[in-house]
Amino acid sequence: MSFIPWPENATLYQPLKEDQILLSDCASSLAVQAYLRMCGLPVQVVCRVNAEYMSPSGKIPFIHVGNQVVSELGPIVQFTKAKGHSLSEALDDVQRAEMKAYMELVNNMLLTAELYIQWCDDATATEISRPRYSSPYSWPLSSILAYQKQWEVRRKMNAIGWGGKTLEQVYEDVSQCCQALSQRLGTQPYFFNKHPTELDALVFGHLFTILTTRLTSAELAERIKSYSNLLSFCRRIEQTYFEDKRS
Amino acid sequence: MLQTSLDPLPMKGPELGVQADDIEPPEIEQEPKQEVLENKDVVVQRVHIDGLGRTKEDLLTYEIAGVFRAKNLIDVMRKSHEARQKLLRLGIFRKVNVVIDTSRGEDALPNGLDVTFEVTELRRMTGSYNTMVGNNEGSMVLGLKLPNVFGRAEKLTFQFSYGTKETSYGLSFFKPQPGNFERNFSVNVYKVTGQFPWSSLRETDRGVSAEFSFPVWRTSQTLKWEGVWRELSCLARTASFAVRQESGHSLKSSLSHAMVIDTRNSSILPRQGGLLKIHQVSVYISDPHLNLVPTPLTDVLSASLWGGLLLPIGDKPTSIADRFYLGGPTSIRGFSMYSLGPQSEGDYLGGEAYWAGGLHLYTPLPFRPGRGGFGDLFRTHFFLNAGNLCNLNYGEGPQAHLKKLAECIRWSYGLGIVLRLGNIARLELNYCIPMGVQSGDRICDGVQFGAGIRFL
Repeated sequence: MSFIPWPENATLYQPLKEDQILLSDCASSLAVQAYLRMCGLPVQVVCRVNAEYMSPSGKIPFIHVGNQVVSELGPIVQFTKAKGHSLSEALDDVQRAEMKAYMELVNNMLLTAELYIQWCDDATATEISRPRYSSPYSWPLSSILAYQKQWEVRRKMNAIGWGGKTLEQVYEDVSQCCQALSQRLGTQPYFFNKHPTELDALVFGHLFTILTTRLTSAELAERIKSYSNLLSFCRRIEQTYFEDKRS
Repeated sequence: MLQTSLDPLPMKGPELGVQADDIEPPEIEQEPKQEVLENKDVVVQRVHIDGLGRTKEDLLTYEIAGVFRAKNLIDVMRKSHEARQKLLRLGIFRKVNVVIDTSRGEDALPNGLDVTFEVTELRRMTGSYNTMVGNNEGSMVLGLKLPNVFGRAEKLTFQFSYGTKETSYGLSFFKPQPGNFERNFSVNVYKVTGQFPWSSLRETDRGVSAEFSFPVWRTSQTLKWEGVWRELSCLARTASFAVRQESGHSLKSSLSHAMVIDTRNSSILPRQGGLLKIHQVSVYISDPHLNLVPTPLTDVLSASLWGGLLLPIGDKPTSIADRFYLGGPTSIRGFSMYSLGPQSEGDYLGGEAYWAGGLHLYTPLPFRPGRGGFGDLFRTHFFLNAGNLCNLNYGEGPQAHLKKLAECIRWSYGLGIVLRLGNIARLELNYCIPMGVQSGDRICDGVQFGAGIRFL
């Protein structure tokens, strides 16, 4: 593994922060930003209306480094590893497997719950998701794109078996996921004791975003707040890595 | 016995006694005066149209009205022929025959004429299958046409086209004004997908458009509004970032006006006449297309000039899908398809201003093989193409723009063979020598094949 210098002009792309970006994308983007900060790799965050369509996989966020474009946390971790930066080098095989398992848990539970609440809950979809998603476009394109996205997410939810769930059940799932994370974290500063890994970045991205995003109901944030060690975990990472300016 | 049965004529008859003074001098029949038909006054009393099914009669009265005004026989024939042409151009009849006869009936005048148009209507619905050659791509086109849907020459068309690069479908409704066919409107709904490998770009357009045409003196004017939902995406993972930045959805609404004067006698290899088409679209002016062909002997000299300018409103940058592209066997020969001008990592981004000119000398094939038949579809041609494509910095002013378009001109020359396909398309096989090549341009020197409808 040769050490290839990280360019100065590395950029991370996401949708518009104020008016457009939704909870799930914001969480994913924050996770990647946290990871890069933990690696000590500077990256500039640029907001673009068409970030979702610019991304090679269609998912937010993606980074443009040199002349390469990589999207989503998993591939980005691989990409930085190829450039000689890694947070999980010190882990042994068992720990690495455990880390991967917990990351899967977060993706399957937290991320899916975020998508469900955004697009399958009618109140949220009508008041928040569709207006925000379609805000940069003029009518009738705005309606077309918003409904298209909603149908796409609902189809995906049905495919993975979440279509029949109620909101209560989803909140329960989130609680259970948080309980598992809280238990694993215990009293340690990070999931794998002294040093943060990509798992810490991912958990931080999702929890912090849920805690600081206003939804139609505060229920989701409340469920997380009941786990105090997760709260202090989020605060710690924010203070350590984002104290200059949260982007 | 045999003789009598074979002989039908009575051998015995009344004796014709021929007396000398019975013989009268034969009458010299007067030759009937050969009437000079042109000078004979006639009155057209009735004009019928036979064979109408679903066509409404009021539509046709305008087309045949001229026949009533004819004053003599030759005029009747001429006006009937004109009316026949008018009936055919409505696009609702398969065949029109004209029968001119003297008037019959009670109120028939001695110099009265009845003119009858015997028409065969087109079938209510026709399907078609074509293969089409567009600008350097081939496609299979399935069509459904309903001519004369409601009886007044309205036409409904549905088309589905599956091509090597593009798939599209469209529905269109056309209605002319009864009595005034050149005034018409049409409404279209369509979805078109195109691939542009020279830019690593894929574009899908879904749109509606409404178009209104009317003649003004000798020109044909068209006003068109079009609303399009445009989706751009990268064709490959290796697309340059400049093209990736343009991915996404946009809504475009445009108002355009076109004016056409066409006096050519053929649109593909004209021998005489000229075409002037000026097309302006709401925000941008594009494509004044001037094609002059002075008359021939058997050789034809042809010159053409294209140009275009894209002016953005305000500060918004122009979209890659709106910019102009140049190069290829249908524009500046000797260069690869649309591979000229601004580019990024091998993807061509197009330019906001361009000009291109071509000079051609067409001659029949040497030694004239197949003359009178197949050989007439071929021509050899010598050509000289030149042009330029660039982006403009609008703060600099028109002087700087002209200067920019005039420097680093790309040009090419060569010779080749042209084949005309019906009245639609043209195939060319050329040997090209590109010159003035700038860094970044992709050339195709040597033999180049081109197929298309619109050539420089």
